[in-house]
Amino acid sequence: MTNVAEALKQIKSWMWSRRLRFTLLISVLVLTAPWPASGQADGPCCAILVAGLSSIANSLQSIAHSLSAILGVDQGMLRFEQTVVWPTSAITQAQGLVGAQQGIFTRIQALTHIPVNSATQPNPQQLEINLLSGNPSMIGQTSASYTALYGPVPPTTDASPQVRDLVDMTDAAAQDAMKRAIQIDALSDLELQAAGQINQSIQTAAPGSAPIIEAQADAWLVRANAYTQAATADLMRLRAIDLANSSADIKMGATNTTNLRQQLMNLLQHN
Amino acid sequence: MHYFLYTVFFSVFAWLMLTVHGRRRVLAVTLAGVIVVALVVTPPQAQAQGGIVQAIQAVLKVLNTLILPVVNSIHGTRSANSTFYQTTVWPVQSISQANAQVLQMMGQYGNLMSRILGSNLRSATLPAPQSMETLLRDHQVNNFGGLTQSFNSTYRTIPTPTDASQADRDMADFDDALTLDSLKTLKASDSATDLELQAANSIESAASQAAAGSTPFLTATATTSSIRSQALTQKMLAAELRQEAARIAHQNGLRKRGAMFTTQLRGTIMNLTKHN
Repeated sequence: MTNVAEALKQIKSWMWSRRLRFTLLISVLVLTAPWPASGQADGPCCAILVAGLSSIANSLQSIAHSLSAILGVDQGMLRFEQTVVWPTSAITQAQGLVGAQQGIFTRIQALTHIPVNSATQPNPQQLEINLLSGNPSMIGQTSASYTALYGPVPPTTDASPQVRDLVDMTDAAAQDAMKRAIQIDALSDLELQAAGQINQSIQTAAPGSAPIIEAQADAWLVRANAYTQAATADLMRLRAIDLANSSADIKMGATNTTNLRQQLMNLLQHN
Repeated sequence: MHYFLYTVFFSVFAWLMLTVHGRRRVLAVTLAGVIVVALVVTPPQAQAQGGIVQAIQAVLKVLNTLILPVVNSIHGTRSANSTFYQTTVWPVQSISQANAQVLQMMGQYGNLMSRILGSNLRSATLPAPQSMETLLRDHQVNNFGGLTQSFNSTYRTIPTPTDASQADRDMADFDDALTLDSLKTLKASDSATDLELQAANSIESAASQAAAGSTPFLTATATTSSIRSQALTQKMLAAELRQEAARIAHQNGLRKRGAMFTTQLRGTIMNLTKHN
């Protein structure tokens, strides 16, 4: 105990003798020690930061309001499109109707293939088979079958050139029309087939793709109208030739009458 | 790291301060220590924070002058779009009105047109023509045999070989055949017409409940129906072409035979004249 007291006394004496140095050390420590940094909550810089962040928050809130409004509009639009413009139930119903139409079309197509052949004699049968074939590759045989039934153009010994021309033109018009009938039958079969295909594709179409198929169907309709016009044109040609024949009969009758009168006058003059 | 460095420095500095002898040395150690602290140990002074404010202002500027107006503009455009679709393109009222109009017109015209088309047109008075007329207009395709029989009863069969030349028999047979072909085709066409009307009715009925987005399906299927209708019209036209062609071919055949008979007659007369 005495030793400790003696040691403390010596330290005190040693420190006292160096009091100036301790003072300097403490001063250096106080001045240069890295004290923990003080918080900036109370500083002016922090106030600026808070104000800036508040402004940003306000701006972001405004943007959020706008975005929320956009979302509202989009949701409203989606609801409107789903319930008014493109309701799934109406689309399914329309597709179902297209499927039902396909059944009707199949029955119509079957009706067009019912055989209607009626001739009983060999030559008429041959021409009838040719005409009802609906096969364009058989057009080449039409003229032969026609001539077998209706006979050829009279030879020059049997008819005047005028009559032969008339007969040949009439035969030509009749055969053209018969050949056209074969073509039209074949075309209408293809149109029925295409219409079936188009209708089937409508069944699986989306509302956005249906107008494309509709455009294709419209194009086919235009084409079909053109074929109908071609057939009508041949029908008109036939009737025109018929009318021309009636007129030719009058003309030839007049010529024959004049010739007969002339011959009678000659005969009377001779007597 | 900084605290560790400072502790090392201060320990060395304290040891030097307390162990050196002489006032000058103490002063020198003190100056050296202050210089070392000032140059090495003391952390560099922090930068001023004025850059953050500028950054915040820049962000605010972007938000307020660029993003917010664009978002507001998008909102305006979408609202206008929505209003345009709902009031101009697909107004619910117009869609309902169109659906109602389809229903109203179905009621107005459906039965009326059906009655007109279904009115009785039969006019024959004698048994055979009456039977044939009934068969002609029954829209059935399963009684072609009966039609041929009825036709033969009304128009009689082709002459026997003893009654007419083969050429006449052929022509009569072909005329009859094409007539029957056309009549059978017309029976099939009548039946197809019934189906087409059925198709038209179902399409119209569907249109009365259709939405704006489902109508392309209906118009597309209606167009395919039109194509089929055209095809059937063409079938009928083809039959008419055959019939008309046979008619003028028949007249032409008579003309040819007239020429042949005239030649034969001329030959006979000349022979007779020679004999006399």
